[in-house]
Amino acid sequence: MLVLAGIVILHVTTVILLLVATIDNAWWVTDTAYTDLWGRWDLINLDWHYSDLKKYTEVQSDFLQSVQATSVLACFFTILALFVFVAQLFTLPKGQRFIFTGILQLIACLCIMTAASIYTAQLHTTDKKGGYGHSYILAWISFVLTLFLTITYIVPRKRNE
Amino acid sequence: MQSNGGWKGGGMGRAGPGMRGVVGYKPGDSGVSVVVLSLLAFCSPSSTLFFFWFFPSPPSSHAPSGVGTLPRQSPVRFAASVHFLGGSSNRSQKTMLRVLALASVVLLGIAPQASQAITVYTSWERHALVGSDVRLSCTFFSWRFISDDVSFTWRYRADGSRDTVSIAHYAGGEAYTDNKGVFKDRVEFVGNPKRRDGSILIKNLDFSDNGTFTCDAKNPPDIVGRPSSVRLLVFENLPIQAGVITGAIIGVVLGLLVLIVVIYYLMRFLVARRVFSLNVSKHGKKKKEGSQQRQGPAPPADPSKMKAAASEKKKQESRKDKK
Repeated sequence: MLVLAGIVILHVTTVILLLVATIDNAWWVTDTAYTDLWGRWDLINLDWHYSDLKKYTEVQSDFLQSVQATSVLACFFTILALFVFVAQLFTLPKGQRFIFTGILQLIACLCIMTAASIYTAQLHTTDKKGGYGHSYILAWISFVLTLFLTITYIVPRKRNE
Repeated sequence: MQSNGGWKGGGMGRAGPGMRGVVGYKPGDSGVSVVVLSLLAFCSPSSTLFFFWFFPSPPSSHAPSGVGTLPRQSPVRFAASVHFLGGSSNRSQKTMLRVLALASVVLLGIAPQASQAITVYTSWERHALVGSDVRLSCTFFSWRFISDDVSFTWRYRADGSRDTVSIAHYAGGEAYTDNKGVFKDRVEFVGNPKRRDGSILIKNLDFSDNGTFTCDAKNPPDIVGRPSSVRLLVFENLPIQAGVITGAIIGVVLGLLVLIVVIYYLMRFLVARRVFSLNVSKHGKKKKEGSQQRQGPAPPADPSKMKAAASEKKKQESRKDKK
């Protein structure tokens, strides 16, 4: 029972972290600007201004769109895996593995890994000022968590409870 | 109205007394009058009022001329019921028709007069490549029929300029295009005004053609309306709009997921059915044996397989306990 609660709490935490990583705008942080996958906030004369990400080249904006897509897909698959896990708790016969949940979680893990990797490799490679923000770090942490959850769902079998 | 022609079918003898009462009143009569009324209301509301008052009330049902054969009903009772039902249905139908006509007059007569403005429709924004042609469409909606004096006017205002110039005009069946200005020999009227289409074609675009094109349509006597504008943007190479790649990736992945799930369940369903159909076609009534052969241990090899199954179960139990 405790193990079950722990797994569910971990899954919910992963969902929350993924959502924060996708939505919150702190992938790349400089002194005066916060950027993320969707737009950038610039501090101009003590006022924050929101603008579109126009300062990327065309190639970079294509990569940015794929990062957007894969991180959104990762969120979606993780949430779907949570619901499928709860459903399989009641419907799966004894001794079976949570294969479907594990597969969904694996896809989510691959998606967020793809997103973070593309962001690292293609964007802000030549910027000298600034560093990665907390959303970026959360993306990598949620990659680790989703990987751990995938193993949790695929390896052990269902108990009779 | 003849009583014979007013009712279909030969079930008159067996029909109830009430049906006899409406013999002679065709259901189509009221419909025709309502249709005519609504058409008139649509065209000219004021004339409908005259029509409504002068139009004679619908033919009332006559008393049944031939009684014919009516089984099991005393003549007195039948006559009384017929008279009562015939009278009430006649009156209710008359009032219903009058209410319907009045409602149609009100709805169709008053409403269009209030909103008789002509509405012009164009696109919001058009993107085009340098050197290509672009067709700017313009249509309109009007409560009136398309008159011969329908007119379209296209005006152009360049980006950053405050001047508006006319570049195309269609009136009196003739199209006139720009022959002095920036669009000389580049504008062509390609619309069909009889079908409410007043589109123009602009050829060989240049960056200086960026701007707002306004279309104004008039359909006399329907002239009150707001012109509509379309913004033209000329690009060197068309950029992929924001979010197209994102949407494409998400859509493809979700579509694949749905497809895989559907195929998985379909295969399970088909496999189950194939097992069933195979046994029915080949072995007939031996269907139980067939399914057992695929699933569990066959009866002759029972002891060894049971031992193996038991040891497997023990292993599973130990693993569960460890967890």
